[in-house]
Amino acid sequence: MKKLIWIFALIVLTFTGDRLGGWVLKQQVEKSQFRYSRLYTQRAQADILLVGNSRGLIFYEPYIEEITGLKTFNLSYNGMSIDLMRNLVEDYFEKYDAPQRMIVDVTMCDRINDQLTSGFNTYSAYSERLQKLIFERGGNMGYGAQFSHLFRYNSEIFQRALFYLNKTDKDWLLDRVINKNMVAEAGNLEAYTIDLEPDSTDLEYLPVNLKAMIAVAQAKGTEVHLVINPYYPVFAKKIENLESFKTKIETFTGLQVKDYSSSILEEKGFGDYQHLNKYGARLYLDQLKKDGILP
Amino acid sequence: MIFNSIAFLVFIAVFLPLYFNLKGKARLILCLLGSYFFYGWWDWRFLSLILTSTLIDYFVGLQLDKTDHSIKRKQLLFASMVINLGFLAFFKYYGFFVESFQQMLLGFGLEPSFHTLKIILPVGISFYTFQSMSYTIDVYYRKIGVEKDFIRFATFISFFPQLVAGPIVRASEFLPQFQKDRSFNWDRTIAGTGQILWGFFKKVAVADSLAPFVDQCFAAPETFSSMHLLIGVIFYSFQIYCDFSGYSDIAIGLARLLGFDFPDNFRTPYFSKNFSEFWTRWHISLSGWLRDYLYIPLGGNRGGSFGSYFFILLFMGLTVVLTGWWWLAIIFLLLIAYAGWYMRRGAAEKRKMYTYMNNMVTMLLGGLWHGASYAFIFWGFLHGAYLIIQRLLGPIWNKMLDALRAPIFIQNALAVGMVYFATCFAWIYFRAPDFGIASDVINGIASLEGFNFSSVINKFVVLKGGLLIGILLLIELINFRSPLYKMTLKNPYFRVASFAILLWLIAFFGTFGSNSFIYFQF
Repeated sequence: MKKLIWIFALIVLTFTGDRLGGWVLKQQVEKSQFRYSRLYTQRAQADILLVGNSRGLIFYEPYIEEITGLKTFNLSYNGMSIDLMRNLVEDYFEKYDAPQRMIVDVTMCDRINDQLTSGFNTYSAYSERLQKLIFERGGNMGYGAQFSHLFRYNSEIFQRALFYLNKTDKDWLLDRVINKNMVAEAGNLEAYTIDLEPDSTDLEYLPVNLKAMIAVAQAKGTEVHLVINPYYPVFAKKIENLESFKTKIETFTGLQVKDYSSSILEEKGFGDYQHLNKYGARLYLDQLKKDGILP
Repeated sequence: MIFNSIAFLVFIAVFLPLYFNLKGKARLILCLLGSYFFYGWWDWRFLSLILTSTLIDYFVGLQLDKTDHSIKRKQLLFASMVINLGFLAFFKYYGFFVESFQQMLLGFGLEPSFHTLKIILPVGISFYTFQSMSYTIDVYYRKIGVEKDFIRFATFISFFPQLVAGPIVRASEFLPQFQKDRSFNWDRTIAGTGQILWGFFKKVAVADSLAPFVDQCFAAPETFSSMHLLIGVIFYSFQIYCDFSGYSDIAIGLARLLGFDFPDNFRTPYFSKNFSEFWTRWHISLSGWLRDYLYIPLGGNRGGSFGSYFFILLFMGLTVVLTGWWWLAIIFLLLIAYAGWYMRRGAAEKRKMYTYMNNMVTMLLGGLWHGASYAFIFWGFLHGAYLIIQRLLGPIWNKMLDALRAPIFIQNALAVGMVYFATCFAWIYFRAPDFGIASDVINGIASLEGFNFSSVINKFVVLKGGLLIGILLLIELINFRSPLYKMTLKNPYFRVASFAILLWLIAFFGTFGSNSFIYFQF
């Protein structure tokens, strides 16, 4: 009997600790200045909505706000996939007044990232839509988050929320110059392709999600601009199917895609092959402003 | 079936109640069938291999027991060795040997064309083969009695907790434990559960969290800074430790739950102050096996044998031919000449030289045991070299420390640090897919370009990894001084709290994707 009591005590302690820990972490997430915390706690009203993966982080918010005088909100994240982004954008349009513009870096349509989707368990309590996607794409991870509340915070997304607890994430952008090894190796890189159909079972999964995301914005009267953000010039030349990728996206969405893949030539403007640094981002954003993509 | 999978949870939930409700033969049969089911989950065809090994060693054992005729006994042992090692050689080394032979002929200007087969490596073959061989060798040397009960013997070979990645348990330690029925025991359950949870923490939380960062580093080292690569190598040292020792902990814990005692397979190896100590703390069951069935038969630290010369010359010859570095032949010849001269100086010198040779052969073969690749052999070579250098320079090092009159804590820290970083250096070759990548990693670190934390990509993973390693080391350090499992047995409050903390840590830090264990490939 005594042994059974100890087992019961273990179960009660584990469960209580899990719920208590989950509650404490939830408070921190809600206080955080991380973009998704702001999104789900009514702190993200903006005039320009920016969308992309890690390459979308080069939509450097402080500078855009400086040159346009408008408020921005960037939903981009490392390795973001378009199905997850669609859900986030739909949540945004549901919770806020429609922004004037939405700028999308379409090169994010090259992957399905179920691991990242599962990482959004941290915010699943705030969005049924997101929760449904996690159950669909993340397998048992959705059930895990129901079972253990601590497990909801077991992701890089939560770590970032904690990191940005008391500071803004608008400044999040590479601040280094591409290293000499990478510059030297660039010419030897193998050809690169942007894979629009990474999931062979559903070839239209990504473009369908992109189209649906655009439709939500357009239905609310938001002007949507599709762009291809810059690559390191030598690397850009290695991308074999950039033109056909662009054409496919244009055919699917009926919108023009502005190709800026080779628009920045200065080496010191890059952090690596696929990402501009702060200096490069400023050059690029000036160009977007000049071309009217930024109002 | 892997431990960190839903399938295994279901399996163990069905197996445990059945196990404790059966007795005698019926329980043994359940163990055997359960083990075969567990193993066959990967690929049922592999069962034929384990069954063949079992049948051969079972019958060889019976025959060894029946005869005192020394030549016949030798023939039986030889037959068992040839068949067991034959399986291992075919499934694990066939492709490697054929490719190496082709390369060797190319070195002589010939252009041969051999058929290579795509052979799938049966999971855990190296582990159960060594376990099975140890039985036959021990019966041959009459260290243990023969096992006449086939079911018991087959269960010993295939016992699922340690079947695929050890620990390699000797027949003398394991078979006697089958003699009596094990009833459910509360203390064993507590100790076993604690060890299983600790194993899961190491594997699911630490090893699997570090893995993506390490994979990135070794996939394209040229793209990362010096600091990033250094962290990658340190992370790998903990990834492999936690992955493998985590598996061992789960295996030992499961066995304990079922009523069996297995020896430790790891004892905080990164706290070792010298390389000999490291090998008494790392993969103890394999190093013990190699010591007893290879190093000592070769002569150990007392003398040499034909085997010592044979293996050393074979490795030297193959290295020269396969690398095509003919200048190495001159170095080897000089080494042989020096060794010959040194051994003529006296009996003590001769014994020393034999020890060096036997150390090197054991480590080279230990490296080869891990897999069919030059990288593993080179890893073995490095550890062999460390052991020799330690024997040569150890006394000088100790004198130097004495002369410095450094406090004992500093001396220990220096020794632990030196052993750890030398081990990390060897891990680079163990992990890198080829020598080119290993060189890129080493050159990248040595360049010191970007030797600051700001040059590190994915700092969040680094911070998480650092935190987990910190937790691991802290608990290991406490456990090193006083075993925590004893506390869990004595103090129920401590037990409940520690189990709950481990569960929270697993939920909060764990990586759940049924990632396989690194040592399954061996």
